[in-house]
Amino acid sequence: MLPTGIQFSTYSGEAGILRTTRARIGVLLLIALALAVPWLSGPYLVGIGTQMFISLIAVYGLHVTVGMAGQINIAQSAFVGVGAFAAAKCSGLGLPFWAVLPISAVATGLVSVLFALPAARVKGFYLALTTLAAQVLFPIVILGAPQEWLGGLVGLAVEPPSIAGYSLGAPTPFYYFTLGLVLLATCAIFNLHRSRFGRALKAVRDNDVAAEVMGIPVLRYKILAFFAGSLFAGVAGACMAWFVQFVTIESFTLFASVWYLGMLIVGGVGSPVGAILGVLFITTIQEGLHEVATTVMRSQSHAVGGAVFATTNIVLGVCILLALIFEPRGLAHRWSVLRTAFQIWPFPRQ
Amino acid sequence: MTIRATIAAAALLAAVSLPAWATDYTMTASADFSGPFADVMPNAMSGIETVAAWWNKDVGAKLGVKVNIKIYDMRYDAAVIARTWPTILSRDQPIMHLGFGSPDLTTLMTRLPNDKVPMLIGTAMVGMVWKPMGWHFSIRPTYSHEFAGLLDKLQKQRGGKLRIGAVSTQTAAGFVDQVKGVEKLAATYPDRFEVVDTQWVATSPVSMTSSIRAMLEKKPDVILVGGTTAQVTATASALEELNVKVPIITSTHNGLSEVAKGFDMKKMNGAYSAFSFAPDNQAKLPLRDIYEANKVGNGQWGIITAQSAAQALLAARVLEKAVAKVGKDKVTGQAMYDALLANKFTEQELLGVLPDLAFDNTAPFPVGAIKVKAQVVMDGKIQPLGDEWLPVPAFEKW
Repeated sequence: MLPTGIQFSTYSGEAGILRTTRARIGVLLLIALALAVPWLSGPYLVGIGTQMFISLIAVYGLHVTVGMAGQINIAQSAFVGVGAFAAAKCSGLGLPFWAVLPISAVATGLVSVLFALPAARVKGFYLALTTLAAQVLFPIVILGAPQEWLGGLVGLAVEPPSIAGYSLGAPTPFYYFTLGLVLLATCAIFNLHRSRFGRALKAVRDNDVAAEVMGIPVLRYKILAFFAGSLFAGVAGACMAWFVQFVTIESFTLFASVWYLGMLIVGGVGSPVGAILGVLFITTIQEGLHEVATTVMRSQSHAVGGAVFATTNIVLGVCILLALIFEPRGLAHRWSVLRTAFQIWPFPRQ
Repeated sequence: MTIRATIAAAALLAAVSLPAWATDYTMTASADFSGPFADVMPNAMSGIETVAAWWNKDVGAKLGVKVNIKIYDMRYDAAVIARTWPTILSRDQPIMHLGFGSPDLTTLMTRLPNDKVPMLIGTAMVGMVWKPMGWHFSIRPTYSHEFAGLLDKLQKQRGGKLRIGAVSTQTAAGFVDQVKGVEKLAATYPDRFEVVDTQWVATSPVSMTSSIRAMLEKKPDVILVGGTTAQVTATASALEELNVKVPIITSTHNGLSEVAKGFDMKKMNGAYSAFSFAPDNQAKLPLRDIYEANKVGNGQWGIITAQSAAQALLAARVLEKAVAKVGKDKVTGQAMYDALLANKFTEQELLGVLPDLAFDNTAPFPVGAIKVKAQVVMDGKIQPLGDEWLPVPAFEKW
């Protein structure tokens, strides 16, 4: 719902992602704030910001597969891992980052297609189990391949990307690099929603039988949903490889996949805003609690580290539970309600 | 004039007799308060902080140097380490980093040479990062070297070829590496050692009876379990179910002290734990006395405390050598690196907790005559296996 007095004279104006001047200013301010973070804070926040951007790209991918197409995927971390190993290998071959990124994304997408094929016959929990197979197979394949290919047990060292000889390995340049990728991914994901492809995915999610009757090739779109979601995972994986500068199978676990899914569910499965809010919420709570625990531990000599940090995990769990109990449709819905109330103020919201 | 001269002389005397201002240096340390090693962290960090406090008081004060230990919870997570390391560099400018485990190694080993900060870890090294020219070092050799020291002693006691069975996990790089190292030992000394079977099991197995039964068909003299504590207890339970007595060999992270926290140690009689520092319960151990007299934090003396105290003590001794070489105001990461490689550290300097040590740039762990010690369970109690260091037979990189 839009405030009184705002109307559109063109279809493209109404279909725009940012339809009001206020929305455009808000987004510009947000981007300006993100750009200013390295000046306003130390490397600690820059590091957290970078990791948050990488997680957000991965969760965007999950949003396409799970949120838009309704195909449950609990192997996003494995797909991120495929992207990371592809990027590590390509970087090791001396390819520039602008070649490594698309190669990693496409390689990940192609691998995901293998695990999307069962979507032709199963869905729901059964499909979740087939994606679990991807998560289980990922380390086995890496370990099984000759060590000179993918590093095997040892893993692969990764050189940070560089542009015209200027290394992006330092925290601030890499922060801006990932920020740029997040902005691109955000544009892509918002546009996907209003594209023919995006509408087809949502039709498949809402009722695949009806979608088939309407002429949508359901199987093809289910596979494409995995492929598109994994493109994002591949980009996130490449960024992760450059960020850590070393890739091993131990970084891409089922636990990480569950966290990605948790971020999406807490934020709201059906909207890209949900992915943003979920990543922001979980990371902020996680890091905030961790910072509090560290402060407590340093200031209270009698505080036992194990107990303090165990408590933070309990608090984190409670925060997630509360978020889901009071807003089961995700934080994106709460954001939508607040925004609507603000837009039509002083009239009561419906 | 006499009074004026007397006052001037007194002032001069007072000035020279004032204690020199101490130069502060920071050593950062990786902890894992919220990851898989949270329960042993209070002991580990207490070992580091206590040694630093003692050293500042007894040694640093005389040198005019003070070490500040700054602990970071890295959560045993490579991504957390990657994003925290730049903060450490800019905020603390450490002269040395006291690392913990393989995430520190994999994340930092390529960065350290550029950042000019050496890292010293307390956990044993793994063969996969055995590379020359690194700035990452451990106070301990590889797990395989540590096992080799004990296996060498057992083989000499028994005579003939020692048949080794191994239990490990295929998805944990460090654990697989342990087995590969022992296989290299057996390949180097085929008349003394043979790895007769390796059972690959889950990290936390519920039951290992079928795996152990299969292994027993190969008649192992010892079973090497270098992975997790759960694997050790599952192996012991399986042996009990099968009514067979074969000694189990463990490390420190999954060692006898860890097993004793929740397992009837009478079932572990004859089991060993091998490592390359002095057992915490060794009769004479000067470092333990220092720890008890200067204790900082919530820790208790134990095997992990001994390990981290040894790690901090070696770091402090390196600092002493660096101060002697470059002066108390000019110690940098480079000076610490140079001091570590250029000097030998005696068992006496290391207060009995470590053997004589020397490092060079060919390996990330002590080189030369590597020595280890061990503990054994007797009558349900963990005892040191003798007072002497056990020599490790030489074998090449695998």
